[in-house]
Amino acid sequence: MTVDALPYTDFYKAKKGIWSWLFTLDHKRIALLYLYAIISFFLVGATLGILMRLELFQPGKDIIEPQTYNQIFTLHGVIMIFLFIIPSIPAIFGNFLLPLILGTDDVAFPKLNLLSFYLYVLGALFALSTLIFGDGPADTGWTFYAPYSVKTGTNVTMSVLAAFILGFSSILTGLNFIVTIHRLRTPGMGFNQMPLFSWALYATSWIQVLATPVIGITLLMIVAERVFGIGLFDPSIGGDPILYQHLFWIYSHPAVYIMALPAMGVVSEIIPTFAQRTIFGYKAIAYSSMAIAFIGYFVWGHHMFTSGMSGPAAIIFSILTFLVAIPTSIKVFNWLATLYKGSIVIDTPLLYALAFIFNFLIGGLTGLLLGALAADVHVHDTYFVVGHFHYVMFGGTGFAFFGALHYWFPKIWGRMYNKKVANTAFAIFLIGFNILYFPMLILGIMGMPRRYYDYLPEFTSLNQISTVGSWITVTGIILMLINLIVAARKGEKAPDNPWNGITLEWQTKSPPPLENFDKMPQIPEGGPYNFPNAYKHKH
Amino acid sequence: MSDNNNVHISSYKEHFSTWAALILLTFMTVAVSVFGAELRTLSVATAMIIATVKATAVGYYFMHIKYDPKIYKWMMGTVLALFTFFMIMLTIDYLTR
Repeated sequence: MTVDALPYTDFYKAKKGIWSWLFTLDHKRIALLYLYAIISFFLVGATLGILMRLELFQPGKDIIEPQTYNQIFTLHGVIMIFLFIIPSIPAIFGNFLLPLILGTDDVAFPKLNLLSFYLYVLGALFALSTLIFGDGPADTGWTFYAPYSVKTGTNVTMSVLAAFILGFSSILTGLNFIVTIHRLRTPGMGFNQMPLFSWALYATSWIQVLATPVIGITLLMIVAERVFGIGLFDPSIGGDPILYQHLFWIYSHPAVYIMALPAMGVVSEIIPTFAQRTIFGYKAIAYSSMAIAFIGYFVWGHHMFTSGMSGPAAIIFSILTFLVAIPTSIKVFNWLATLYKGSIVIDTPLLYALAFIFNFLIGGLTGLLLGALAADVHVHDTYFVVGHFHYVMFGGTGFAFFGALHYWFPKIWGRMYNKKVANTAFAIFLIGFNILYFPMLILGIMGMPRRYYDYLPEFTSLNQISTVGSWITVTGIILMLINLIVAARKGEKAPDNPWNGITLEWQTKSPPPLENFDKMPQIPEGGPYNFPNAYKHKH
Repeated sequence: MSDNNNVHISSYKEHFSTWAALILLTFMTVAVSVFGAELRTLSVATAMIIATVKATAVGYYFMHIKYDPKIYKWMMGTVLALFTFFMIMLTIDYLTR
């Protein structure tokens, strides 16, 4: 791996031809395969979201039928959750960067990594096949709640099998990362010398490995119930629909942290680099990732306060839910403390990281309201939940994802994007996002139920503001993507370390060579974010 | 990687004793389901406890967790604790609904 003075050939040029991509075992190429697939599905999911907003522009039918609307919001949820948010940061940036930031040449199991990707593709094909086969895509919502999911005539079976297969992809990626982090750190790098992104991936991977099998078997139980009529969840044949919700949320709440923790890891990388300052509270941030992953297992019942779960169980879950806020706020305070008296450079990645904090704060605080038993019963299943969830997932993880794309873009492609266009796109995106989702919080408080095709006239103006916000958001995203595509093809050549970062990925060439490092990377003295030492190395 | 270098050869006695215990526990599971059917919830709980003991024995002796570093025991213990918590909360919900 670390032979000196090898001639430099980047990983794009190291091998040629379509087969060198389709059967690649290089973690960087697999990451790019994921990137192109995931961005494609994101655009499909976003298109479905736009269709929903257009339909909701005014009461009554605008462009689609009620049944189509139900199927669209289900497919939007399935695509965005299982094909975009869950795999986004781990599968793309985790795959590309984990070996680089650990100072090694690949993940522990490259073949398993490729298998993960093809399972992802297979799962995606199953999800999309519902558009063609059977009686159309599922109309249950992405939660597949029983007993409706057992009884509906739409193609629930293919949809849940898609989620089942995608779960395997997620487990294999998590397993790969856990072993990579345990076994392949560069010599001298202990756990407490790892960059915080790898800590976040480590915590995430444990959730993927431990929680995903539960949803796998639960979804198979739905299929078994539909095919054999066993009576697991359908009360008319002796089943218990609340049991389904328990089993679904024991995975799906930790899965929220599969989505959020890697985003927090990205922010923990961007902020010290653009403040050129040692991160405040390294261990607090690292261990809070583990704490979030752990506590995340104990709070699933807060999704079920109005489902018919018992009062005592609901009270216990409400109390436990508040515990998650502690490690989350530890992170936010430490990020802000890192910026304090730093040499802050306002560049595109930092803007996305700051937007993450802003949006996530709104998402997190509205989450506390939903975690409070007494308040939740009033806003449960209203647009308040939709607003909260999108602030956390899109405003949080989505912005961190695009922040990561801008941060590591020069490392991945060896070129730099137009920063003015990137900042403009960011501003449009952020403004549009808030116009799109903030009205939903108000609509929810006013009592507008979620997943409804039609609504009362008093909700019209806020729905129209929200729909206009969706147009602005899409404009920002399209501008951002065009800027990045142009830059990847024709952008000016970027230096190996354009941001003065000191984690190990910045010590290699951009794009990196096939084996990542031509010479053994040097671990910064005094910790992974000890910037004064980095300057000493440079000058 | 030092743990891979530790040579450990289990004795026949240990293997046989574990196997005998697993057989005995299997008979116990059957006995509880046949003779304790009227206990309903309690018979399910007993079966779960026996299954957990069996899984632990398999992991500890047959899968050599016994010889592995403590971190693996912690990992398995954590998983077991999470599952126990899930069952406790499910039971609380059912009994107080």
